[in-house]
Amino acid sequence: MLTNLLAIGPELVLTLTVVLVLIADLVIGDRPARRGSLAVLSFAGLAAAAATFFLLPDGGPAAFGGLVSGDGLGVFFRGLFLVAAFFGVAFGALSDEIPVERFGEYAAMLLATTLGMSFLVQSQNLLMILLSLELVSLPSYVLAGFRRGDSRSSEAALKYVLYGAAASGLMLYGFSLLYGMAGTLDLSAIGPALNAKAAGGSVGIRAGIALAALLSLAGFGYKVAAVPFHQWCPDVYEGAPTPVTAFLSVGPKAAGVAALIRFVVIGFGASVATPPAGGLPWPVLLGVLAMATMTLGNLAAIPQDNVKRLLAYSSIAHAGYLLMGIAVGTPDAVQAVAVYLPIYLLMNLGAFLAVMAVRAKTGSETIADYRGLVARSPALSIALAIFLFSLTGLPPLAGFIGKFYLFAAVVKAGTPFFYVLAIVGVLNSVVSLFYYARLVKAMFLEASPDGAPAVLVPVPVGLLLAILAIPTLVLGLWWSPLADLAARAAGIVG
Amino acid sequence: MTDPIVSAMVFYALAAFTLVAAGFVALSGNIVHSAFALFATLFGVAGLYAYLSADLLAVVQMLVYVGGISVLVLFAVMLTSGLDGPLTSNPTFRLGGGIVLMLAVAAAAFVAATAVPSGVESAAVPTTAAIGDALLGAYVLPFEVVSVVLLAALVGAVTLARGYKGGHR
Repeated sequence: MLTNLLAIGPELVLTLTVVLVLIADLVIGDRPARRGSLAVLSFAGLAAAAATFFLLPDGGPAAFGGLVSGDGLGVFFRGLFLVAAFFGVAFGALSDEIPVERFGEYAAMLLATTLGMSFLVQSQNLLMILLSLELVSLPSYVLAGFRRGDSRSSEAALKYVLYGAAASGLMLYGFSLLYGMAGTLDLSAIGPALNAKAAGGSVGIRAGIALAALLSLAGFGYKVAAVPFHQWCPDVYEGAPTPVTAFLSVGPKAAGVAALIRFVVIGFGASVATPPAGGLPWPVLLGVLAMATMTLGNLAAIPQDNVKRLLAYSSIAHAGYLLMGIAVGTPDAVQAVAVYLPIYLLMNLGAFLAVMAVRAKTGSETIADYRGLVARSPALSIALAIFLFSLTGLPPLAGFIGKFYLFAAVVKAGTPFFYVLAIVGVLNSVVSLFYYARLVKAMFLEASPDGAPAVLVPVPVGLLLAILAIPTLVLGLWWSPLADLAARAAGIVG
Repeated sequence: MTDPIVSAMVFYALAAFTLVAAGFVALSGNIVHSAFALFATLFGVAGLYAYLSADLLAVVQMLVYVGGISVLVLFAVMLTSGLDGPLTSNPTFRLGGGIVLMLAVAAAAFVAATAVPSGVESAAVPTTAAIGDALLGAYVLPFEVVSVVLLAALVGAVTLARGYKGGHR
């Protein structure tokens, strides 16, 4: 019993924090320190949750009769989500887009989303996957619509809800078919059961498994914003308040990627090294999805004038790169995905923080208003340039290391299809340089428009920018600690 | 084991009651009558659950759908503004399409029903205790996660719905 509770210690602390923040929000009332004290309470909760990692049972046994897994993958991502939540709360506390009287609700919703992500990555059971996905989604909808009275924010929330409900419905239908055919909800038992069925089964059985798997894929595809489930992404990212966009672009996306790894690689046992699981060619299927996702994301990003929209398409492209890793499915590839996501978190959060700082002074998110930013705010411009070049994957920045691990894993797969996939990925990185560099060119090489305001960065924002930019630089040169952690997540070393 | 003839009679009586009530929901020209007929339909479905020895499901159906949702539907019908009046319902009723759709569903149901070998009718065994054990035993974690999901949904709904123009609270 105690082992079970200790295994979900971080989640218990997070739940408690959500409730405490809501109560504190009521108790504190209109005092001037409202925003600060609620933020400190949230940080304390996150720190306490992080501390309970040391109490996790040794060896990572499955808890609650196999409903949740205690493996390295789950522990790695749960830690990552605490970091994402820290930045999410901090961004919200520093942004004027989150009104002070609603900051408590913002923090509570954000922490509830984090709780859902945390359960999602360790779910070893279809029922738990579905429930935790809903726990990620429901507060996300609320966060996307947080700027009430702003029609774009409301539109974003509504689109998010409608797409989310449809995707959840499709996934639930897929899960029910899987349950019907495999007779179990347990992920570790579904793969073997379906393999047995597909091996001796008729065409009808194989078609049924394929349908169920594709429908289930819809739910994960929606969370990571993969083509063809990406249409909500640009509108939601543009309409939602910037701190929310920043959080949504890293948190739920990483959770979706991790859950997809668990579903496909651990559940179905799919990888290039093994025969098709459940009669489905997972590597090729996901590889094609990856190609479509990164190509569409990068091409659609080129003509964008709104920076948040541009970053939305860029995040779709990055989902494509990550799908490549899941398609390969070997421990090396899982390690590559686990290296990529923390780096992606740093550089994407950094880019959105810079956008937030510019918006706070100019009230604008269009590229035209970034012209000549270097003269008005040199440090901010340099930081943003670092994040953008890292997102492109240029050495010696961290983004290069992330991409290097991913492409290495893809090439190591060694089949002609994966060579093509790697080439498509490299070409896409070249395309992405075009639109990232367009923003950098506007900042550094073009003259400021007349009367453009100086962008003074407040000290806490500058501090956060540094916290995000320095690892982006350092990890590009000294990445072995991260690679070791990722290897542990992928189960390569105990 | 009950007498198969009695059992069949009970089933057909319940099914007929449910179908007639459902037909009333769809065909009635008065939306309030439709809402009341929905009440009866859900009641009939609860009876079918009980007949299939899903006793917990039958009780939940009674409490949640018959007791709660129907009243909610009635409130919604009566409080919704913009209706032409309580007597407007189903203005776009089309017989041809409806019959085609019904036949298609019936055909699909027939195929599905004949594909599965009909099982031997087993004695009714109460399920409530077993479900209760499962909810607080093997499935206690999802059970508790559901409560957190509901809490988040509730707080989120209030967050979105609360008035915001007049300042704080």
